[in-house]
Amino acid sequence: MNENLFASFATPTLMGLPVVLLIIMFPMLLYPPSNRLITNRLSAIQQWLVKLILKQLMSIHNTKGRTWSLMLISLILFIGSTNLLGLLPHSFTPTTQLSMNLGMAIPLWAGAVIMGFRHKTKSSLAHFLPQGTPIPLIPMLIIIETISLFIQPMALAIRLTANITAGHLLMHLIGGATLALMSISTTTAFITFIILLLLTMLEFAVALIQAYVFTLLVSLYLHDNT
Amino acid sequence: MLSRVVLSAAAAAAPSLKNAALLGPGVLQATRIFHTGQPSLAPVPPLPEYGGKVRLGLIPEEFFQFLYPKTGVTGPYMLGTGLILYFLSKEIYVITPETITTVSTVGLLVYAIKKYGASVAQFADKLNEQKIARLEEVKQASMKYIQDAIDFEKAQQALVQKRHYLFDVQRNNIAMALEVTYRERLHRVYKEVKNRLDYHISVQNMMRRKEQEHMINWVEKNVVQSISTQQEKETIAKCIQDLKLLAKKAQAQPVM
Repeated sequence: MNENLFASFATPTLMGLPVVLLIIMFPMLLYPPSNRLITNRLSAIQQWLVKLILKQLMSIHNTKGRTWSLMLISLILFIGSTNLLGLLPHSFTPTTQLSMNLGMAIPLWAGAVIMGFRHKTKSSLAHFLPQGTPIPLIPMLIIIETISLFIQPMALAIRLTANITAGHLLMHLIGGATLALMSISTTTAFITFIILLLLTMLEFAVALIQAYVFTLLVSLYLHDNT
Repeated sequence: MLSRVVLSAAAAAAPSLKNAALLGPGVLQATRIFHTGQPSLAPVPPLPEYGGKVRLGLIPEEFFQFLYPKTGVTGPYMLGTGLILYFLSKEIYVITPETITTVSTVGLLVYAIKKYGASVAQFADKLNEQKIARLEEVKQASMKYIQDAIDFEKAQQALVQKRHYLFDVQRNNIAMALEVTYRERLHRVYKEVKNRLDYHISVQNMMRRKEQEHMINWVEKNVVQSISTQQEKETIAKCIQDLKLLAKKAQAQPVM
């Protein structure tokens, strides 16, 4: 049971060959590049979506922050499509692996913070002390703010991993429950199946929301530091 | 912009010219020839309007046509059902919790696509149409602007043909103004001269009148002086006699 439950999260190998790289690069095929002005429906919808997201995401940034727009759009498209593809049966979701999420979160966060410290040192250091703190609390508050700063990349990565993994696990468990209940009492199995349907809808939403949250937070860290 | 037209015309007429121009600097080093013939990217070949036909959303129609001669209409369906049952019965495909999640996920997807597919396709078409419409509008506006400029230019040219009327009218006006000024001055001269002459005439008249009056006064004075006292008495007595006669005549008249 244990092995079966977590088997879907093992890094996929095909006869000993790590095929995970191909799986990570697979969503690229779903965004066909085109040199036309008027494209097919898929590309038209993708262009419209990208424009919508980009406008909403980069409206708060100044010129310096907007140089990150390509990075952030690629991020949200990648996380969104990998999460959504992971909902298909028997598929592997790269974002369930903590290694990959850390690999995405730490460089982005570090880049934003180091850029902030280099260019606006005083303002970056000022973030450690919120306005209007009473004087006796200052030393403790600085320690807390430092810890909070260093937790940010961890939080980013672990949030994404935990949400997606938990969703997949829950779907698997409730599917198993439905399967087990089918031979006992069909009505309960049916109710459980309804729960599974609702959960699937939630999972679709979560897939997109997590992508959005990840990118939004990176964008926020960027905004603080540009 | 004309130079571009000339260049493209030259390129169309003599493709070797393009090669020669490109070869110029590197002719000593390499004889690789680039860009032979027309540019291959434009015009872009048109996209097909509809995708390939599929049945059950997955299997292309060609598969059904392929099996039709041997197995008829129900052939591929039998094949599919048989395969599924075979996989299930031999446990090549195991029913796991994953199967249930598959059913729910795929069922949800199929429902969503069936319900919202057409409207999303319509939306995508509308997006493309809007893009084309915007560019078309720019093109039409540009054409209209140029057409308006052409019409305006033609109107201006027509007006220029009729400019001489304006000049004639102005010339006439000036001539009239000159004439009026000339006549005015003539009239003024005439009046001045007449004024002087009138002055002399009135001087003469006045002199004559003064002389007349003087003469009359002198004559009267002398006459009055010449009347002696004797003459005066005789004249008065005669006047009284005449008056008496007249009074008698007058008395006799009203009584009758």
